[in-house]
Amino acid sequence: MKGAPHTGEAMLPDGHLVEPQAGDYEHAKAAPTDPHWYKRAVFYEVLVRAFHDHDGNGAGDLAGLTRKLDYLEWLGIDCLWLPPFYASPLRDGGYDISDFRAVLPEFGTVEDFVVLLDEAHKRGIRVITDLVMNHTSDQHPWFQESRRDPEGPYGDFYVWNDKDTGYPDARVIFVDTETSNWTYDPVRRQFYWHRFFSHQPDLNYDNFEVGEAMLDVLRFWLDLGIDGFRLDAVPYLFEEEGTNCENLPRTHEFLKRCRKVIDDEYPGRVLLAEANQWPADVVEYFGDPAAGGDEAHMAFHFPLMPRIFMAVRRESRFPISEILAQTPPIPSGAQWGIFLRNHDELTLEMVTDEERDYMYSEYVKDPRMRANIGIRRRLAPLLDNDRNQLELFTALLLSLPGSPVLYYGDEIGMGDNIWLGDRDSVRTPMQWTPDRNAGFSSCDPGRIYLPVIMDPVYGYQAVNVEAQSTSSQSLLNWTRRMIQVRHQHSAFGLGDFSELSSSNPSVLAYRRSHVSNHDAGDDLVICVNNLSRFPQPVELDLGEHAGGVPVELTGGVHFPPIGELPYLLTLPGHGFYWFQIVPPNTGREP
Amino acid sequence: MISATDLLADIADALAAVLPEQRWFAGKGRPVHGVIPVRATDLAGAEPRLVHAVVEVDQGEQHRDRYQFLLGVRSDLPDILGHAWVAACGDQAVYQAIHDPELTAVLLDLMAQGTTVEGLRFAVEPGVTLDTEQRSRPVGAEQSNTSLVYGQTYILKLFRKVAAGRSPDLELHRALASLGCKHIAAPLGSIEGALESVPVTYGMLTEYLRNAADGWAMATASVRDLLAANLLVEGAPGPVEQADPADVGGDFASEAHRLGQAVATVHTDLATALGSAPAPAGYLDAVADDMHRRLDGVLAQVPELSPHEDALRAAFDAVRGLEGPVPVQRVHGDLHLGQVLRSVTGWVLIDFEGEPMVPLATRVAPTSTLRDVAGMLRSFDYAANYLPLGDDDPEQRAAVALAWTTRNQDAFCDGYAQAAPDPRKHAVLLHAFELDKAVYEVGYEHSNRPLWLPIPLAAITRLTTTSP
Ligand SMILES: Nc1ncnc2c1ncn2[C@@H]1O[C@H](COP(=O)(O)OP(=O)(O)OP(=O)(O)O)[C@@H](O)[C@H]1O
Repeated sequence: MKGAPHTGEAMLPDGHLVEPQAGDYEHAKAAPTDPHWYKRAVFYEVLVRAFHDHDGNGAGDLAGLTRKLDYLEWLGIDCLWLPPFYASPLRDGGYDISDFRAVLPEFGTVEDFVVLLDEAHKRGIRVITDLVMNHTSDQHPWFQESRRDPEGPYGDFYVWNDKDTGYPDARVIFVDTETSNWTYDPVRRQFYWHRFFSHQPDLNYDNFEVGEAMLDVLRFWLDLGIDGFRLDAVPYLFEEEGTNCENLPRTHEFLKRCRKVIDDEYPGRVLLAEANQWPADVVEYFGDPAAGGDEAHMAFHFPLMPRIFMAVRRESRFPISEILAQTPPIPSGAQWGIFLRNHDELTLEMVTDEERDYMYSEYVKDPRMRANIGIRRRLAPLLDNDRNQLELFTALLLSLPGSPVLYYGDEIGMGDNIWLGDRDSVRTPMQWTPDRNAGFSSCDPGRIYLPVIMDPVYGYQAVNVEAQSTSSQSLLNWTRRMIQVRHQHSAFGLGDFSELSSSNPSVLAYRRSHVSNHDAGDDLVICVNNLSRFPQPVELDLGEHAGGVPVELTGGVHFPPIGELPYLLTLPGHGFYWFQIVPPNTGREP
Repeated sequence: MISATDLLADIADALAAVLPEQRWFAGKGRPVHGVIPVRATDLAGAEPRLVHAVVEVDQGEQHRDRYQFLLGVRSDLPDILGHAWVAACGDQAVYQAIHDPELTAVLLDLMAQGTTVEGLRFAVEPGVTLDTEQRSRPVGAEQSNTSLVYGQTYILKLFRKVAAGRSPDLELHRALASLGCKHIAAPLGSIEGALESVPVTYGMLTEYLRNAADGWAMATASVRDLLAANLLVEGAPGPVEQADPADVGGDFASEAHRLGQAVATVHTDLATALGSAPAPAGYLDAVADDMHRRLDGVLAQVPELSPHEDALRAAFDAVRGLEGPVPVQRVHGDLHLGQVLRSVTGWVLIDFEGEPMVPLATRVAPTSTLRDVAGMLRSFDYAANYLPLGDDDPEQRAAVALAWTTRNQDAFCDGYAQAAPDPRKHAVLLHAFELDKAVYEVGYEHSNRPLWLPIPLAAITRLTTTSP
């Protein structure tokens, strides 16, 4: 990290490391205030390395991403989610952070990040990033000091013990690579605790100072103008003998401490908890419902994604209906994050016994379904590049309860390269143009961090932003239009969800309804989805809205008014409708 | 105001005229000689007025069935109720009140209050509080009774044909609910009474499963998917390989497995609540006699069945000599994929009335649970063969159907065996029940839907050539 400010560039007389301060940098202008922006927002997960290479060294960088903000604004994205871009030895995809206050040199500098933030805010786009609070890389100066000087200021920053027998009830998570949660350090001659890889020692949150140090890390980035964090691996922060060391009350207390910093010092910024668990358990991470939620603002709804794939494959709405029926209500200030693809995987450990049986019988025995849960494939190849299904899935993502998270490249139907192995197959360069390196980089093709996709169906010559943005029929323009429609209706982001009953098992219909304080803001949307490849009729009981007129949202066509009898619709295979229900004699041309 | 009894007498002829048009009327095809009032009771108001009526329909000596009506009376019938009009009585219009939410709301009120009106007992089940604000509409389905859905919350089944004796539907729902069985719609209320001192059931209110789909719709969606996968391979050049139902997206086996578990749980609960005992002496002979009798009747009508007569009789006689105790208990009695609903919490069995057109005493007699299992197994076979798709190559079509049927029947039995003894352990009896059911289907299809006749005939061929 020579030449750039970094943690440990100097040491104070009391042994504390000197760390970069936010005041050393310019700050980005803040995004416009809107306390519930995250409920309306469309998120976009983008890998800095994969998006655009500005300096021509073969890997994407922050400056490259900044130059593509116009595209993201045009697409209608409200918030970028960047996986970690901190200094790291990259033994765990950047989740092994060796300096919380420095940027991985390959991606640029803290200054580059501030420019990105500033430019994004100018376009109304917010930026959040991952922060791993549970552990650091073993290369982090805190750990190096901790092992070197047990009596120094960092001596108690990690969980050290003379024996490797503590906390026997905590399972080993990465059973493929780790045999124990304790590893011996020959320097300090003690064992240290790690819930994940042995090169990622857990921070010791029993030490109040560790919590303070982490809050200062939050403040560092918040002062620069960042809009929030996805807090990685939160269930594991604390350890306690006699427990499985997950979801402990003190972990929740610490999250409340984090939330208080946000509410008091940085209102409008958000915390998104990563707790890969069942919705009924995840809601704990939203905190106290009476307070509208006082821990994380958002959390991912993990089981929904595989259920969507299962439902369309089975041509049955029940996989989705069931999981939504099992999803408890959340505090008024909270919001789910939902996704079709992301780099996290649903695992069977997270589910109840009954659910495991269900998942096992419906899922694990079917190799095609198994591929769906994994992180190996992109959306388009999973759906055989079938445009109808791509549209149906995207429509579900944009209309089910929660804020949608798109994965970069899925908006143009990019493919994957399964020869690159598990993680990298879906991390290939974004395809901008039909030119060399897909317009991603000007480097020599041999130097690119991963080869661009070149097959005839998904290759950059066939699938790229430039071609699709000029074709009105393209998936990109279709997706953009749907995002626009979503933005026009508060019901999608803020509304209640209730499923509408129908006797057709292949049709999933629901109502999103938002009642605002002022009458004009009320919004009622009905979504009807045919999960079958065959045309289907459906009779919906819309009696409650008798007299109302359904207006289709993409074309504005008025459908026949709702009467006393069930409302009959027919849908083409994998078709869907979004309707707004307007009172009679309104919304019509004069 | 004219009394309810006089009103009913006044419009009896008009009822005779509208009867044959009613979906639920069981005496279609036979002339109606007359409608005789049995009883009439005012349930509400003057404008509009609600009258509960029971009439006897005279269709000749052998056929005197009783039916229940809810009559509305208004001096001014709104247009939207025009279709429900029955007769004029003085300057008032009499109409079928099931279409009038204002009047059907009275039924909920009476149940909530626990009122008895002239021997009609309206009641809720213990511990139930009703939300009486819900408005009703009749369900659209083709039905032998009339069901009203209140809001999206309750469903009230009004038994049309009034049989002497308490309805097994109500009785079994109560028994299962007392054990907390998850696989039924919870019973919430009832309308009961007595005719000539014999108890009768007029209505049953249960929880409405608002987002359910029936098993038949689920199963045929799965078959459709499989057929489409095969149509794809059919047209392909090169050797044709049949798509395996286990590999296609619409596979139904895990649903069939859970359904089997649900049915077995209901059986176990029925045994716990209402008893189970070894069959009395003569049970198996009676079962076999019954099967032969049915076969005699169908053989007389359907010549296509005669080549199978010997094999069928042999299968039925095999039942007589079965060793070991055969347990008997209360069962569903008319189980098929149309009698099960998939709700968001799992499978639910509905309509415990038992076999249609059979006297009450027979319907409530303890019998083997294998009867229900056989009904379900036959239903899978129907679902697999029902869709008129892929008929270009009937052999291939049959092979696809058989693959689907076998997979799902097996899954159903596997699921069943997780909660009760494996039905396949009693292969001889199960087999005979399946064949008996198929013989019944042959008779039914012959007179009603000749195009479907090949389905049960093919099943009989298959079942008699594979010994249990
Ligand atoms: N609890 C329930 N929740 C939702 N729907 C129900 C419920 N009970 C019944 N139904 C629906 O109403 C229809 C009629 O119900 P049911 O079978 O009980 O009536 P029935 O008149 O006895 O029918 P059948 O003509 O088969 O004898 C069923 O097909 C089912 O779709």
